[in-house]
Amino acid sequence: MRDVTLSELERLGAAAAEADEVFQMDEDAFRLFYERTARPVWAYLSRMTGDPRLADDLLQETYYRFLRASAAHETDDHRRNYLFRIATNLVHDIRRRPRVDAVQMSQDMEHADPREADAAGRAADRVDLSRAMARLKPRERELLWLAYAQGSSHQEIAETLRLKTSSIKALLFRARRRLATVLRERES
Amino acid sequence: MKRQSIAQTLCPREPEIVNLVMSGRCPDGSDDALRVHAADCVACAEILELARVLHADQKTLCDEAPVPSAGAVWWRATIRARAEAARTAGQPITLLQGIAAATAVGLVVGLTGGWWRSIVQSGAWVDRFGDMVSLVGEQRVHITSSAADPFVPALLVLLVLAVCLIAAPVAVYLATADEP
Repeated sequence: MRDVTLSELERLGAAAAEADEVFQMDEDAFRLFYERTARPVWAYLSRMTGDPRLADDLLQETYYRFLRASAAHETDDHRRNYLFRIATNLVHDIRRRPRVDAVQMSQDMEHADPREADAAGRAADRVDLSRAMARLKPRERELLWLAYAQGSSHQEIAETLRLKTSSIKALLFRARRRLATVLRERES
Repeated sequence: MKRQSIAQTLCPREPEIVNLVMSGRCPDGSDDALRVHAADCVACAEILELARVLHADQKTLCDEAPVPSAGAVWWRATIRARAEAARTAGQPITLLQGIAAATAVGLVVGLTGGWWRSIVQSGAWVDRFGDMVSLVGEQRVHITSSAADPFVPALLVLLVLAVCLIAAPVAVYLATADEP
């Protein structure tokens, strides 16, 4: 992503007030919200696409769409779920274009440069997990990540993925079984 | 086989296990009852293992995430919002120009067709063509002479109108456009 230059910042100084009117929150509120959510969103995008560079671009797009959306949110949790829903939709859009290759998904993990022996072990685990996740269906990846990496409740997952809350338990169970099977296959 | 059938049952204590991992109290911070349960329940043991792996992965990714600053994201969004607003504002002008051009072309084609049909129907088109050729040859084509034909001035007026319809939006655009 291109950095914003100083001249651009100066030129656009007057535009800040306009943006406040167009966006659903002001700059200060956005900064607070972004600090809390940007890293988890990036991690989610990175794991769902398997491409950290793509995650960079999608992160910007996710927040842009979030800011432009006119949806009203009762709580911060709703706002956060809505953000993840946007991220999920973007990943689906990307998936409809080029097919994400399972091998490509784990390339970046393989190039990890562990500095310690412990870190090397963790990096190896992550490569295994990355490859195992790549073998799952996209919906399974999303369910597992939201449930076990982020600790979202079934209701939050349903809200994010636009599914029925009652169906989450069964879907999550199947996804979990598949990931466990894939991981065991790799271990053996 | 027995393990498999047990694993396929859903355990009501799953949320507790997940909360335990999310809070970072796993495995030492858990109470004895939950620890014993996780050791016996295949479903919970599986959840515990997967949640630990996935949560650790998420933590590492979050630590490494090369996210831009909130300010940079805000500014980029501002730039894009402005560009989109400008594009949206420009759309009516483009639409108006298109309508004007289509109207002008339609008028010209319609009038030319009507004029041509009237000449053909009267059967005098050969004579008129001959007259026109002779007029051009003798360089006697004047506005006053052409005014004798009722179609020619009307056509000229409409042509001027059509040109105005096309030129006016362009002139307005050039006059109001921002300098690069």
